[in-house]
Amino acid sequence: MTMQAETGRTRRFPINIETISNYVVIGAFCAMLVFFAAFAPGFLSGENLYNVISNRVVLLAIVALGMTIVIAAGGIDLSVGVSMDLSSMVFIMLIAAGLGGFVGVLGGLGAALCVGLLNAVLINKLKINPFLATLGVLFIGQSVQRLSTQGGVPIYLTRAEFAAPFNAIVRSSLLGIPTPMIVLALCLVAVYLAMHRSVFGRYVAALGVQADVARFSGIRVLFHMSMVFVACAVLAGISGILLSSTVRSYVPFAGDSFLLDAIGATFIGTAISSERRPSVVGTLLGVLLLAVMRNGLLLMGYNFFWQQVGIGVLVFVVLGLSFGLRKRAD
Amino acid sequence: MTQAAIEMHGVNKTFGPVRALMDANLVVHPGTIHGLVGQNGAGKSTIIKVLAGIYKRDSGTVRVHGQELDAITPAAIEACGVHFIHQDRLLVPTATVAEAIFLRNEPHIGPFINYRQMNKRATELLKRYFDLDLDPRTLISELSTAKQKIVQITRALANDAKVLVLDEPTAALVSKEVSSLFAVLRRLKADNLAIIFISHYMSEIDEICDVVTVLRNGSDVGVVTPAEAGIEAIVQMMTNRDTSEMYPRRDVTIGEPVLSVNGLTLAGHFRDVSLEVRAGEILGITGLLGSGDKELVSTLFGQSVPDRGEIVLNGKPVSFRSPVQAVRHGIAKIPEDRRAHGVATGLSVGENIALASLDQMSGWGFVNTRTEAAKTEALIKELGIKTPDRHTMVKNLSGGNQQKVVVAKWLSCDSQVYLLDEPTVAVDVGAKVEIYNLMNRLASEGKALIFLSSDLEEIVEMCDRVLVIYRGALIGEYQRGEIDADRLLAAASGAQMEQEGRSA
Repeated sequence: MTMQAETGRTRRFPINIETISNYVVIGAFCAMLVFFAAFAPGFLSGENLYNVISNRVVLLAIVALGMTIVIAAGGIDLSVGVSMDLSSMVFIMLIAAGLGGFVGVLGGLGAALCVGLLNAVLINKLKINPFLATLGVLFIGQSVQRLSTQGGVPIYLTRAEFAAPFNAIVRSSLLGIPTPMIVLALCLVAVYLAMHRSVFGRYVAALGVQADVARFSGIRVLFHMSMVFVACAVLAGISGILLSSTVRSYVPFAGDSFLLDAIGATFIGTAISSERRPSVVGTLLGVLLLAVMRNGLLLMGYNFFWQQVGIGVLVFVVLGLSFGLRKRAD
Repeated sequence: MTQAAIEMHGVNKTFGPVRALMDANLVVHPGTIHGLVGQNGAGKSTIIKVLAGIYKRDSGTVRVHGQELDAITPAAIEACGVHFIHQDRLLVPTATVAEAIFLRNEPHIGPFINYRQMNKRATELLKRYFDLDLDPRTLISELSTAKQKIVQITRALANDAKVLVLDEPTAALVSKEVSSLFAVLRRLKADNLAIIFISHYMSEIDEICDVVTVLRNGSDVGVVTPAEAGIEAIVQMMTNRDTSEMYPRRDVTIGEPVLSVNGLTLAGHFRDVSLEVRAGEILGITGLLGSGDKELVSTLFGQSVPDRGEIVLNGKPVSFRSPVQAVRHGIAKIPEDRRAHGVATGLSVGENIALASLDQMSGWGFVNTRTEAAKTEALIKELGIKTPDRHTMVKNLSGGNQQKVVVAKWLSCDSQVYLLDEPTVAVDVGAKVEIYNLMNRLASEGKALIFLSSDLEEIVEMCDRVLVIYRGALIGEYQRGEIDADRLLAAASGAQMEQEGRSA
């Protein structure tokens, strides 16, 4: 009886420390927008915002979505950079061979799929923990790139004869919306539905919280865990193809720089849910936060090294505030 | 009267909407063993965690040996000589016995640990207090639960403990280990230590405690001497309920066989087991530790693949290679380790209930949230699960309510056969009765129940039929009313194997 009365009260006054702690990420994001609008020259210009989104947000968000699924299932995937790079490499090589964009995309995604399947086998059949399994795949993947490119020589396809497939992917638009953003939107919707609306997403959450309970409830643990890693690799593969199409080249190890940002964005995103679980909306916010931070500092004249410091401080502030307030609420 | 070792007065603690402690008092004197009893959720753990400095109290005073403590931290309370032996083993599994005993108190020469001295003193302490010859270099992970408890107590003694708090110390111990633990406690009591003893086992409270504080709904409702008040009175104070209602009766007509097993064998665990369980029947299986009863039930749930024999479900032979297939065939298991296997404590009540039946609440792979909400809400109401709403995390529920969530999960997916492995372990008296009621309800709905328990009294009282398993073979079958707990124990120990065993 007491419980019901108390619940009623919580509903009438939804603002308490616990709820506030969930809005820290959103608050930080707004504060940052205001700050950079005031102090970073040209931050709010349409051109700049378009660049931020098309160069960084789209690519990182797609990788981070995959990472979100994996982390929600209680794993980690250190090989997303490899999935991206191998997809990008195969895509570029197939186009260089004159096989065209369609075959290139299929080949690239196929390469990423192979990385995902390898992870799935290592983790589920050989029972290696995800951290070590994907770390191993990361090393192997880097070597594969070196071995196939004479030690890491980039492949540039800047000649006009190759322009068509790249333009079709990144310079095209549908109803005025650039294709990469449509791809991102599709990925967002698909992963959102999978994680937050589907049976699969529920099972993934159960796996992440307590895998043994999932097994005892008759959930096919191995199958779902495998699907998680495959999905993550394919998403990274999509991002790799978009990256290559933008720069019209394959640069070995370019994907590695996305790994830590993707993990960071996912964990920042957990701060918006009251259960501190990874979520699609949270991850997207995390991605925006990281991208805006980098871009704003750049416009203010700080180079890459200072951007890293900014990101570090951002992570401390957001997670520190959010988890600290949460703990006070307990 | 002597100076009290622990004095807690008017302690309040709330967690969000839940008032865990309301003006609770606890006064413990040196040289006594002080029992702390109450149902799950009564506030036992909370008051102890407040004392341990794990939770911060909202209000109230705490005095240790007369000295008032303002804010308590775990380190400060240990410095006052108050040591806690928590229910979950809190020892580093990769440490040695000596390292665990002298953790943060290592004998040293300069910056280096004096291992020789440490091992020697550990051996002495174990010998002196427990008469135990244990190599101090043994790893904690190699010790039995009982020995780990002993190492924890030794650590407290090595740190000059004045007050010892034991939270469910006997939960994982067999009876011989319990009596040796009690001998130790009595010796420590004679050394003028104050001991706070928390247990669900009323017989232990009766045996060892000098004084008992009874908690109910976050307040202390009485301080009594078990020898004078008697256990029944204490239970009644805890529950506000008469113990005669402990084992509720049911009136069920037993129907057709649902699950039968012929010549089932799992090498090294059980052999040639044949049994059947009918709709509406509660079939008890009991045996000593390691008799194969657990493995039998695990095999029925697809966790192990039998070497020989067949399982027949509703007249059709089936074989399960994993729990996935068992669950699809309508077999449900309520596992012994509820927190590890039964409920996902980090998921909400609703999510847990829906976990095994999402297929039935979804279309095209998507969860139909309206169906899910309706179905889970209905089950929460039906089973009387005490939770603010279905979005509450299961970890915020009491043990008995968590167990109800497990049952709700299986009811939701319409399971026909329920395998209950020690469903009442580590839940309090009130929650036990609720679990018994739930079992009766399942039986009255025509489910078939297989019930494993080491509590022979509940086996005798609850089951329509009891099978005794001994060294992997079924050696006896008894109808309800045919046997009492003592004779059942004798049978389970193999005593009557020759004369009376009517092999099933």
